[in-house]
Amino acid sequence: MAEKSVILKIKRQNTPASKSYWEEFSVPYRPNMNVISALMDIAAEPLTRDGKATTPITYDSNCLEEVCGSCAMLINGRARMACSALIDHLEQPIRLEPFSKFPVVRDLATDRNVIFENLKAVKAWVPIDGTYDLGPGPRMSAEEQEVAYPISRCISCCCCMEACPQFNESTGFVGAATIAQVRLFNTHPTGKALERERLAALMGDGGIQECGYAQNCVEVCPKDIPLTRSISEVGGQVMKQALGDLLRR
Amino acid sequence: MASASSTAPGAKEIAVPGVAPLRAGQGYSFVLRRLHSLSGIVPVGAFLFEHILISNSTAISGPDAYARQVSFLANLPLVFFLELFGIWLPIAFHALYGFYIWYRGDGNTTAYPWSGNWMYTAQRWTGGIAFVYIVWHVYTMRFLGDDLHAHPELSFGKVQHEVMQTGLFLFYVLGLVAASWHFAYGIWLFSAKWGIVSGDKAQKRLLRVCLVLFLVLCGAGFASLYSFRSQALPTDDQNRTMIHSSHKAGAQTASNGRPVQ
Repeated sequence: MAEKSVILKIKRQNTPASKSYWEEFSVPYRPNMNVISALMDIAAEPLTRDGKATTPITYDSNCLEEVCGSCAMLINGRARMACSALIDHLEQPIRLEPFSKFPVVRDLATDRNVIFENLKAVKAWVPIDGTYDLGPGPRMSAEEQEVAYPISRCISCCCCMEACPQFNESTGFVGAATIAQVRLFNTHPTGKALERERLAALMGDGGIQECGYAQNCVEVCPKDIPLTRSISEVGGQVMKQALGDLLRR
Repeated sequence: MASASSTAPGAKEIAVPGVAPLRAGQGYSFVLRRLHSLSGIVPVGAFLFEHILISNSTAISGPDAYARQVSFLANLPLVFFLELFGIWLPIAFHALYGFYIWYRGDGNTTAYPWSGNWMYTAQRWTGGIAFVYIVWHVYTMRFLGDDLHAHPELSFGKVQHEVMQTGLFLFYVLGLVAASWHFAYGIWLFSAKWGIVSGDKAQKRLLRVCLVLFLVLCGAGFASLYSFRSQALPTDDQNRTMIHSSHKAGAQTASNGRPVQ
């Protein structure tokens, strides 16, 4: 392994308000390395490619196995998880950028709090008050489980939102992940109790109507969640409720 | 993520506010966007369907059949209100709100060059092209030259005069293809977004049906255009067409009554 190296171009930013700049790094190649391990190598010896001392790259990461959703970033221009981005599969120099539609905290770390606000807005939870024992909940059929399980794998990484042409500051679109979670909790026998409120929330500004069906969400999703299918299903539920209310309320 | 923002120095001075969260219970964009979607199918799409597949196609049977169709449409009861509420207002709303939607989206086919994303961008461009074409088409056919409601017998010649000019003919072809695609893929989008067709297999099947519809619309359009370019006018219309043609700058009329380049 004679001195093979990996070249990375990283878009950096020191504070949320400051200007961004690019720095180039070169780290020794090891088999099976991924973007996170390359960032760890830079942190161990924070020198730019031309030998200038710099600060380690700031980035979010935790599980390193694509289940926590922290390390999402733009890798060669595309939204994906850094931990599952293998260096062997990437074209060099590897360009790393923070998500473009979320406020940058520092370097590659972005503030993706908006997805939690959205999940709260649609009440993405199963309502049980917990003051007394409610007993066992109703059973879910195998069919319902098959629908629910893939959606329950969502890791709130926000890749679907970053890649969506409709998710931006002028639309304030809620994004595919939250719509899929509405489907998940509306499928749940106890979660169903809030179905009407969830669907009504999705009719607000920035709701499901802003979807342009470009289908990037389902392509970039690292967890293969059937996002477009969920948007269609929930879109149907929302329409049914809207028309029902129009005729019966 | 959220924890990172609290540890970052100077997190308060965030320059980019970021995308706003969902505004549950606020605004009318849901109704407007769904009306936009619906208006593209009925009445605008239905009118396109009628215009290309029924009315224009009568040109294949010749100038007399075409004149009868124009006369039939012009004599529909309450034709002014039919046009106003069935065509003018819906198409104006669909187009203007459509441009608003286009303006607010950020196409990203460079970073994500996938078919669905290209279709998203194509839907905006075909809509824009169709709109420019329709404005021109309505202006020249409805507000310029002979009034076809009063003189349906002049219809074939009026269209023929435009279609014989290569530049305008190509503009007709462009408008036809753009409008047909916008409508055909629009049906697919409508079905997907309204949850009428949601499964992967079913959506693929519908996409094929929409593709066939696109080809049928284009085929009928091309057949009509060919008829306008290839058929001679009947003799009793010749004089009127010649007079009409001579109004246009640079237009010449051949001995068979057809304008030539």
